[in-house]
Amino acid sequence: MYKGFRSESFSAWAFMAPGLLFLAVFTFWPIIYGIPLSLTDYSVITETNVVGLDNFTRAFQDHNFLISLWNSLVYVLIVPVIQIISILMAILVNSRIPGVKMFRAAYYIPVVTSMVAVALIWSWLLGNNGVVNYLLLKAGIISEQVSWLSTNSTALYVLMFITMWKGLGYYMMLYLAGLQGIPADLYEAARVDGAGPLRLIVHVTLPLLRPHILFCTLISVMGAIRVFDEVYILTKGGPGTSTLTSSVYIFQKGLEQFNFGYASALGLIVSVMVGALSVLVFRLNRKGGVNSY
Amino acid sequence: MPRSLRVLITYILLILLALFMMGPFLWLLSVSLMPGRNVFANPPAILPTFIALDNYVQVWNFMNFPRYILNTVIITLLGVVFNIILSCLTAYPLAAFRFKGRSLVFTLLISTMIIPSATAMIVHYLTIQAFQLGNTFFGVVLPAAVSVFNIFLMRQTFLGIPADIRDSGKMDGASELRIFIQLVMPLVKPGIAVIGLLEVMAFWNNFLWPIVVLDDPEKYPLAAALTYLNGQFSYNFGWIAAGTMISVLPIILVFLFTQKYYMEGIAGAIKG
Repeated sequence: MYKGFRSESFSAWAFMAPGLLFLAVFTFWPIIYGIPLSLTDYSVITETNVVGLDNFTRAFQDHNFLISLWNSLVYVLIVPVIQIISILMAILVNSRIPGVKMFRAAYYIPVVTSMVAVALIWSWLLGNNGVVNYLLLKAGIISEQVSWLSTNSTALYVLMFITMWKGLGYYMMLYLAGLQGIPADLYEAARVDGAGPLRLIVHVTLPLLRPHILFCTLISVMGAIRVFDEVYILTKGGPGTSTLTSSVYIFQKGLEQFNFGYASALGLIVSVMVGALSVLVFRLNRKGGVNSY
Repeated sequence: MPRSLRVLITYILLILLALFMMGPFLWLLSVSLMPGRNVFANPPAILPTFIALDNYVQVWNFMNFPRYILNTVIITLLGVVFNIILSCLTAYPLAAFRFKGRSLVFTLLISTMIIPSATAMIVHYLTIQAFQLGNTFFGVVLPAAVSVFNIFLMRQTFLGIPADIRDSGKMDGASELRIFIQLVMPLVKPGIAVIGLLEVMAFWNNFLWPIVVLDDPEKYPLAAALTYLNGQFSYNFGWIAAGTMISVLPIILVFLFTQKYYMEGIAGAIKG
């Protein structure tokens, strides 16, 4: 019996070895190696020196970095509000009416297309003479053309809109899974007690979706912190620093200016913040039902 | 409220939402079919007044699309194969075996989900250079060759397989590897399909990492080539629209033909 247990242990590690090797090199190593790297001024161009905590003191005096943190924070606070629209979408596509599966697929298409394509389309739609301005002018909502992506006050919100638009279908599917797990007799019971459609949503649907809401909030918070593609393609952080998010700034410092040491320090600061944030969300989540993770 | 009225309102809302979600794509299609039209003309061209495929023909001749499509297919296939093999191998013991260190592996895996590393890409770049894999497809694929998410997804699938299967294999004297390949793997085909599809989408759409790793634009996949086209010909909207359609159509078709598995899989990822 004991021998069997040992050989099972051996097989288990043998099975996992290739996968763990890859994870070690490409998932664990970046986390570990970022720490010593952040204490140096490593760049491709000049000789490498150990600079201790200089990168960190520099970071907190770096005006652009602080702005990028602020922009990321705004993203994190606003983008998860996506959940409300996604829940409504999920409720709609959960109706048992003909053709509803077609709508589900249609709403999901932005999720599967590349951010490059999505960003291109929206950059045209949002151009000065673009369709959005045209329609809003016609409807009388705005009185003159707005340069949505090159105006300081609108650019960040426009990017958030694009992030949300692309993600709606994904969250809708997760909520749909949740909705389909709610037993029908709960609705029946509530209806017998005289509840209308709105009260059914508030008192039956939303409480039972709570684990899903928390899970989706967590992944959308993570997504909002990492947001990169749409910013990089559409504004590169501009105009000025109005859409500079932390991942874009770290990328600029690291892979565009080759300040690997400084960029690693910035990355570490953001990682610690994200770690603290996720512990917080996980704490909230513990009462929920996402126990499979 | 009578049922028929409720159904009518539901359809109206569904259609409005569909316009919101699909409208931009339909408009892109419309622009791509109108040669010589400026998307910023006033009033903007929304519906095609005439239909011609000139944009498609011209952009196809201008850009080496077969090359970019081949690049994308190679990168995607490599990525999918790596992910399927590695995540199945890693997930199987976590679901079926009892061994020392199991919870340690589990904790390690979960911790990577909690701590997203913003520096990862920089270290990946250094690692790939150190392995001398810069400017190669392997350099593009390896950092994403296995993901913790896929391991969890496959673990859920393996958990659904009765232990009897492994026991009966053992009775017949089969090795663990043989049991895994011949008895267990055929039973988890739906799970494999799901991670396969997820990775097809991820690798097909990836644009930034390929640009970082590949020095040679001839090796770019479609999404990366598209940013290049946009940089070169930002005034020739019809071409870029046609190029964008060419790059998104395959993935949309893959999705439409496999959406049943795909959506069940996404849902299964959270239901567990």
